[in-house]
Amino acid sequence: MASMHLSQIRRWLLQSPPVEWGIMQLRELLIGALRQGSIPQHVAFVMDGNRRFAKSHGIETVEGHNLGFEALARVLEVCYKSGVKVVTVYAFSIANFKRSKYEVDALMDMAKVKLSQLAQHGDLLDRYGACIRVLGQRELIKDDVLEAIDRAVNMTAKNKDAILNICCPYTSHDEMTTAIRDTVIDYSRPLPSQQRSFSESHITHTIRSRHLSAGTLKVRSHSPSSGATSDTEESISTSSTLHPDSPPGDSMEGEDDGPKSEGFRDTFPDPETITPEILNDHMFTAGLPPLDLLVRTSGVERLSDFMLWQCHQDTEIVFLKCLWPEFDLWTFLPVLVEWQWKRRNGLEREKGSRGGIEKLIKMA
Amino acid sequence: MVLSKETKIYRQDVREKGAFLTPQQREDLLKPYLPDPPPTMVSKAPMPRKGMTQPVRSFAIKQLHLFVFTIMHLLFSVYIRIRQTYHVLWNQIFAVLYYHHKAPELIKQDVKNLNRLPGHMSVILELKGEERGTAGVESLMDDLAEISAWCACVGIPMLSVYERTGILKAYLPSTHRTVTSKLHAYFGRNIPSLQVRAPHIPSLLNGGSSEELDHLDSPSGHLSILLLSAEDGRSTLVDLTKTLSEMSQRKKLSPNDISLDLVDAEITESVMGEPDLLVLFGPNVELQGYPPWQVRLTEIFHVQDNTGVGYQIFLRALHSFAKAQMRFGR
Repeated sequence: MASMHLSQIRRWLLQSPPVEWGIMQLRELLIGALRQGSIPQHVAFVMDGNRRFAKSHGIETVEGHNLGFEALARVLEVCYKSGVKVVTVYAFSIANFKRSKYEVDALMDMAKVKLSQLAQHGDLLDRYGACIRVLGQRELIKDDVLEAIDRAVNMTAKNKDAILNICCPYTSHDEMTTAIRDTVIDYSRPLPSQQRSFSESHITHTIRSRHLSAGTLKVRSHSPSSGATSDTEESISTSSTLHPDSPPGDSMEGEDDGPKSEGFRDTFPDPETITPEILNDHMFTAGLPPLDLLVRTSGVERLSDFMLWQCHQDTEIVFLKCLWPEFDLWTFLPVLVEWQWKRRNGLEREKGSRGGIEKLIKMA
Repeated sequence: MVLSKETKIYRQDVREKGAFLTPQQREDLLKPYLPDPPPTMVSKAPMPRKGMTQPVRSFAIKQLHLFVFTIMHLLFSVYIRIRQTYHVLWNQIFAVLYYHHKAPELIKQDVKNLNRLPGHMSVILELKGEERGTAGVESLMDDLAEISAWCACVGIPMLSVYERTGILKAYLPSTHRTVTSKLHAYFGRNIPSLQVRAPHIPSLLNGGSSEELDHLDSPSGHLSILLLSAEDGRSTLVDLTKTLSEMSQRKKLSPNDISLDLVDAEITESVMGEPDLLVLFGPNVELQGYPPWQVRLTEIFHVQDNTGVGYQIFLRALHSFAKAQMRFGR
């Protein structure tokens, strides 16, 4: 009983105007202070725990998702004010389609309403300079939602200061498969035949005529064997100049295919030139700064098919116990400060080791 | 941060799917929270007549922010020292309470209550930077041998070990020897059959010695160890893309045939399947280039501020995997 009174008094106190004003000023101050250090350029969130929050608070699942959206708005405000350039959120997984139809529809409805509201306030959005992108399998989204998405995306496309990536419906395996497929399609496109001012047939013709004239001159003075070797050399060189870019295996396979392309076969880019960077440029996150920080709420310590390609190198991954609707500056601030602290310590250590080496060199 | 009164209005609006407020009302609700319009808009407005006060003010605010930043980091470094000490102490307590004494029976006792065990466990080990010579490799191999022995005792049939540089792959036979001798130290004469392999390198089964081959289905079980490096991560996916491109160029495959299942099957075949549990022995969660395709649903376990391999960490990982509470003592 006493605790209930206490919590009511607390709520009353926290909601009184001067206290609210004070908290707001404190938030601004803390965010301003955060900006003085280095800030992650790209942060990703797995917004986990909406349903569990709803269950534990005895409200409807959809209501939990609504509160989750409010949490997202709060977090975005913190991120953009503190200088994060790109925020990527896991809104909907392809696997989520397995959930109840009611919940999926409600989520999609929410997305539609929010995005169309957003579209009504285009000029206000420009103040943040944020653009929205939707990453994932568009084909799985219903038409009316897709329309709202496209409107919001097109409206904000010109903003360059900050980016919000909404992953919906997304899985990382799907993203990687798509990247591989797109790369393969890129590399299966024949190279445009180069228009140079020299024609191959003319060159062969010249060589042949030269050989003929030289042959007629030299045949009498030299033994015929030298003429024979030069002949074979010529045939080798012509056959290799015909397809300069095709790998050696290609010509053998081509003979199996039959005389599909007579004389002139398409040349393809060399598959050996494919690098991780090329695959990276085919991911949905192409051109964005590397992922610095990935936060997952609700204490689940799994990546659940999110940003695997982007986060498996030196991204700092943080698993938090709190549920997503509870996520706020007060839970995010320690994460950011720790990130700054580690970054500074890492730099110092690097500097220190380099300094040590320099000292050694000086001593020697 | 939104004031509570306005939150209430906003939620009313949400409940009625945006019908409660008109766009104009919503804009008014939002206005106080918006940042200043971008500078291009400001220039159109008449310049403030404050003159000098503006730069002074912004200078003062910057100083204040710097001051708060310094205080914040000062407090944080105190906090993190305390946290690290706390975790080290806790870790020591665990290490004392749970020690394996190289006895398989004790280790079995420790995991007796767990209702599920990972079928495929993965660990990330680190080659210490300072001792890149043979000492580093030796300590790495020793850690690997210890973990293998614990896995064999618990009954985990598959262990994959990721180490960024892949230096252990060059020492496959001696790794096998080290692990075998460690297993002998734990089990005595009858050790489980042991297979050590790495992707694209022929595997070593029981060190090639024939007399132990009939132990394959010995009561002591079987353990296979897979050595992984950064090569098996992105590069494998790149290699797959190269092969697929080549096939597509020769018209042996249409790009539309490239499906998630195909990629998954190929990656699983050439490297490994998805591990059930990934244990990190470092102070924070950083995958260091671990194969990205395979960590999809893997449980990732780490102990905050921990450095180094320890039996208590291994045990805690298994307990958290089985969602079981660890009581103190045995």
